[in-house]
Amino acid sequence: MPSLLFEIGCEELPAVVCETAAEQLPDLVRAHVGDGELNVLVGPRRIAFVLHDVAEREEDRVERRRGPSEQIAFDPGGHPTQAAEGFARSNGLAAGELERAEGFVWATKRIEGRPTAEVLPDALAALVRGLAFPKTMRWDGSGLRFPRPIRWLCAKLDETTIPVALEGVRVGGSSSGHRFTSHEVEIRSAGDYAEALRNAGVEPDQEVRRAEILRALEDVGEWSDPRGVLAEVVHLVERPFVLTGRYDERFLELPLRVIETVMQSHQRYFPLGPGRFAFVANGGDPDLIVRGNENVLSGRLDDAAFSYARDVELGIEGMAGRLDSVRFHARAGTFADKAERLRALCELLGGGEPSREAARLAKADQVSTMVHEFAELEGFMGGVYARQAGIPEAVAAAIEEHYLPDAAGGPLPRTAAGRVVSAADKIDNLTVAFALGERPTGSRDPYGLRRAAIGLCRLAVEGGLEIELPRLVQQALTQLAAQSAEVTDDPSDVTGFVLERLEGLLDVPVEFVRAARAASVEELGAVARLARTLATEVEDESFARAYTAYDRANRLAGKADGAAPALDPKLATDAAELALVETLGAVAPRIEAAVAERAFTKALAAASEFGPPVDRFFDEVLVMAEDEAVRANRLRLLLDVRDAVGLLGDLSQIPR
Amino acid sequence: MSAPTYQEMILRLERFWADYGCVIQQPYHTEVGAGTFNPATFLRCLGPEPWKAAYVEPSLRPSDGRYGENPYRFQQFWQYQVVLKPAPDDVLDVYFASLEALGIDPVDHDVRLVEDDWEGPTLGAWGLGWEVWIDGLEVTQFTYFQQLGGLDLDLITAEIVYGTERLAMYLQNRTSAFDLEWAPGVTWGDVYRENERQWSVYNFEEADVTLLTRRFEEDERECERLLEKGLPVPAYDLVLKCSHTFNLLDSRGAISVTERASYIGRVRALARRVALAYLEDRAVAPV
Repeated sequence: MPSLLFEIGCEELPAVVCETAAEQLPDLVRAHVGDGELNVLVGPRRIAFVLHDVAEREEDRVERRRGPSEQIAFDPGGHPTQAAEGFARSNGLAAGELERAEGFVWATKRIEGRPTAEVLPDALAALVRGLAFPKTMRWDGSGLRFPRPIRWLCAKLDETTIPVALEGVRVGGSSSGHRFTSHEVEIRSAGDYAEALRNAGVEPDQEVRRAEILRALEDVGEWSDPRGVLAEVVHLVERPFVLTGRYDERFLELPLRVIETVMQSHQRYFPLGPGRFAFVANGGDPDLIVRGNENVLSGRLDDAAFSYARDVELGIEGMAGRLDSVRFHARAGTFADKAERLRALCELLGGGEPSREAARLAKADQVSTMVHEFAELEGFMGGVYARQAGIPEAVAAAIEEHYLPDAAGGPLPRTAAGRVVSAADKIDNLTVAFALGERPTGSRDPYGLRRAAIGLCRLAVEGGLEIELPRLVQQALTQLAAQSAEVTDDPSDVTGFVLERLEGLLDVPVEFVRAARAASVEELGAVARLARTLATEVEDESFARAYTAYDRANRLAGKADGAAPALDPKLATDAAELALVETLGAVAPRIEAAVAERAFTKALAAASEFGPPVDRFFDEVLVMAEDEAVRANRLRLLLDVRDAVGLLGDLSQIPR
Repeated sequence: MSAPTYQEMILRLERFWADYGCVIQQPYHTEVGAGTFNPATFLRCLGPEPWKAAYVEPSLRPSDGRYGENPYRFQQFWQYQVVLKPAPDDVLDVYFASLEALGIDPVDHDVRLVEDDWEGPTLGAWGLGWEVWIDGLEVTQFTYFQQLGGLDLDLITAEIVYGTERLAMYLQNRTSAFDLEWAPGVTWGDVYRENERQWSVYNFEEADVTLLTRRFEEDERECERLLEKGLPVPAYDLVLKCSHTFNLLDSRGAISVTERASYIGRVRALARRVALAYLEDRAVAPV
């Protein structure tokens, strides 16, 4: 069976376009061309695939069309009318060949599958139009839209050139080699494609390019890629050449991370340890290229050194002094206002003096030239400038770390003060956004609030920080209002928003987290521990008893109307009823006390004591008594039992 | 070929693009942040008429000044601007040929087109294209315009913006723009360093905020008045004046983040009205 090559030749595509195209091609090829062994090849100037074992023809298919009704198609004598003749003719049949069924006439045609070569011109054009990208452009009057101009299409079914039906684009059996060292390349047969391009200075297979780059980097030394630019670099070159260069040791006075950021963010270089770097070129004379890149890096580092020196001269206190002229949010005051809120939050979080001092200085680097140029260095630069100014290490480290964790699974701040300032910053960000009516919606989360909420959960669960959200949010809100921010919303739903993140974070089924979220504890770490306790104890006998008591009481009384507002023990008459009232009086305070001291296993053991009395109550007592007052009192009794166990959460969330 | 002086490099670009068929224009007389603002680009790239032009443009970015102390950042630098409307299919090859005319053979170098989505918020303009890197140095911005004045374009223009200092630094193997040989025996620094220092003082310290704030409003009103009179071409100059005044206010630190968005919105609204009026105007009397 034949192989099909299809190549969309473009002007240089962004790396992310190469990747999105590669993701979409398998489905598009299956939909428009068919099955087979697929090899996707993408790079800066081409989106291509080779499909092996393509069917030679479409499959035959049967088409059945409904015509006029039988009354219209046949006259009373049973002869076909003009309407029947016309319908038959339009389907290439004689009237006698029409079927009669369900009150209508039908034309059944067998349609022979066309040869694949005939189908492909339209199918491949549809495939091109089926590729979807977030940002596209026009480049001529053809009406086509694509991320960059399409300059040629090359399609071969084995040795046959397929004239793809896309107007305004050069279509044929040739491709283009390396932009500068090669020209048009004739593709003789689909199977020759990769080889033909390799001979023309292009490695079409992204995986081969990636492997070549990795191998060459291994050869040149201790390379690193702190910002992860490799994936992009793979799509910036058609044939990779890894070269190395040097930079002047005088730049080593700059923090290493600044040097690496300059290298990677602008130039996509790979640091090779002090004074050296590696980069990936697309061709050319190595001596010239290395010299050029060394000059560029030297210029960039000079620029960074200039900015750094200016920042150091101003100093972190000088920067902090300017925070009152920089807006944190258009409707929520300046960074100086924010620093005040952070200090108060740190205090409330139980942070010591280092955390409060760090809160005062944490945002100072927002006015530094370095952070203005490299936003990703926020926090880090603050730490550097704090150390330059002789500020105690505990404070400097907290400033440096307070944006952590900044990625899923990324590290938490190492220092206690760092964890406190980090939590304060996240609580403040959440409160400000919620109070100003800017909650995240759907995929829109411009302030990264979901990540902040997950960070808070991790600071509590893994970092052991006590985070009692309602109090903290209230504190930030009160201060915001006092600073005359334009508060429009009540932000108390921050707590629920953050607790919801625990569901994805803990290693227990979500039902246990949902159950624990409804408990009387609000401290993040305690909710997490409760969820884990419930999950651990779920198979235990005492859990079963507490669960059954909760469940039976809730099922009967939870939805019933007419419960008394408070329990009146004097209205209890039956022995089983009296026994349950007595258990409630003894057990409820113990559950409450145990939950208050976060002794959840102990609380669960106490709750399990409801088991036998609740069972006996249901066996012996008629809740829906004739006497309205007695009935109301019994419903209240059950609700009180449920609520006592419910201090441990909404157990009905847990499937049994 | 020996390394051309700065002025020789510009002369070669002029020659190359004149031979290609461009109208060689001169820098505009009103302050602009980039060659795109010159009416030879902004106005001429509207509408269905073909147009090819090239010119040097002094680009003023008040807040980029560094008192002549930083060899890479200036409040005034020089772009070489080319617009080709409609963009020819081989536009990239033509551009690479212009590099060869300067003595840069792409075969010997690592020439790369690196994704760049360009946006000019005050002009309501955007396009897709690249930064062109030669051996790691960005020397050109290449853009296929998609919108100007917030309007979809009839014909797609390719805009080629050479950063002349960068390009000359590359050609002359210099790491400081001040050391570029402008003419034999005269450096770029000789011609412009003191200029940089004095303008940086003005832009950052001396520009009169009250006066500029008033001027912005006056120019905005004048622009609207001219639009009502059916004079989009002079009205456009007032858009440029507003845009530059805004940049000066910004470099004086006189504009808060919120105000910033509002100023940009005001200039963009004027640019859009000018674009619409210009299109209507040339529909009556085609250019």
